[in-house]
Amino acid sequence: MKIGISILEDGSVLFEGIDPLLHQMLSEIRSAAELDDPRVEARFYQSPTTDPESEDLREDWKAFVQPDLHSAFASSREVVEADLRRSSSDKNGHRTLLIPRNHIDHWLGALNQARLALVEYHGFSEAEMGRQPENLESPRDYALLQLGIYGLIQEWLVSLLD
Amino acid sequence: MPALDTPEIETKDKADLDSVWNVVVHNDPVNLMSYVAMVFRRVFGFPREKAERHMMEVHKNGRSIVWSGCREEAELYVQQLHSHLLLATLEKAPRQ
Repeated sequence: MKIGISILEDGSVLFEGIDPLLHQMLSEIRSAAELDDPRVEARFYQSPTTDPESEDLREDWKAFVQPDLHSAFASSREVVEADLRRSSSDKNGHRTLLIPRNHIDHWLGALNQARLALVEYHGFSEAEMGRQPENLESPRDYALLQLGIYGLIQEWLVSLLD
Repeated sequence: MPALDTPEIETKDKADLDSVWNVVVHNDPVNLMSYVAMVFRRVFGFPREKAERHMMEVHKNGRSIVWSGCREEAELYVQQLHSHLLLATLEKAPRQ
């Protein structure tokens, strides 16, 4: 698999030659980030303090901060999904994807959500996260591949912003 | 004449207002090191070297105090860190 990556004059990023498997995996960023599980919920919406005397802060956080976080997280996932919907395909099924400059933060956020959610949902240990996936028919191994690919893209986007 | 609603007044203890609060970032094995350093630079305006020093402290020691000051500002910083999905809490600093 060879993917062409160009940074356009306006700072947008153009990916060319995305094969169907990678495109499928990118299309699953949203569903991975929206895995319905109390551990994922707890990871996304943390308590701001462990101080037993700060119950008021925890209540305020739930009432005022967490709804804002919920909207911001959802917004990033929607932007990513819209960019993927706009990607075009050639006769071999290879796709071209444009990430506008002002969407890069949303991509970083959505990729991070997906990675954190996959780890919580599958209960991966740190050691298992370093394991090479062997059988992509296995949901755990497929999730490990997703983790690796999403991490690579995230790392690359961070370096681009640096 | 309709009765006026009694406004809710939030009070904070004087001790809370006088206290110094720490913003603490905790280690997690999922967030990329480069991403954590980037978030520190963005949220706190740290120069690269300082951001990387705090990131390494989180990685090696499990936690790093990245900012100290008044509670309201500390809450805003924790909120921003949570929006980047970093593990962060607010802690009252021990009195000197």
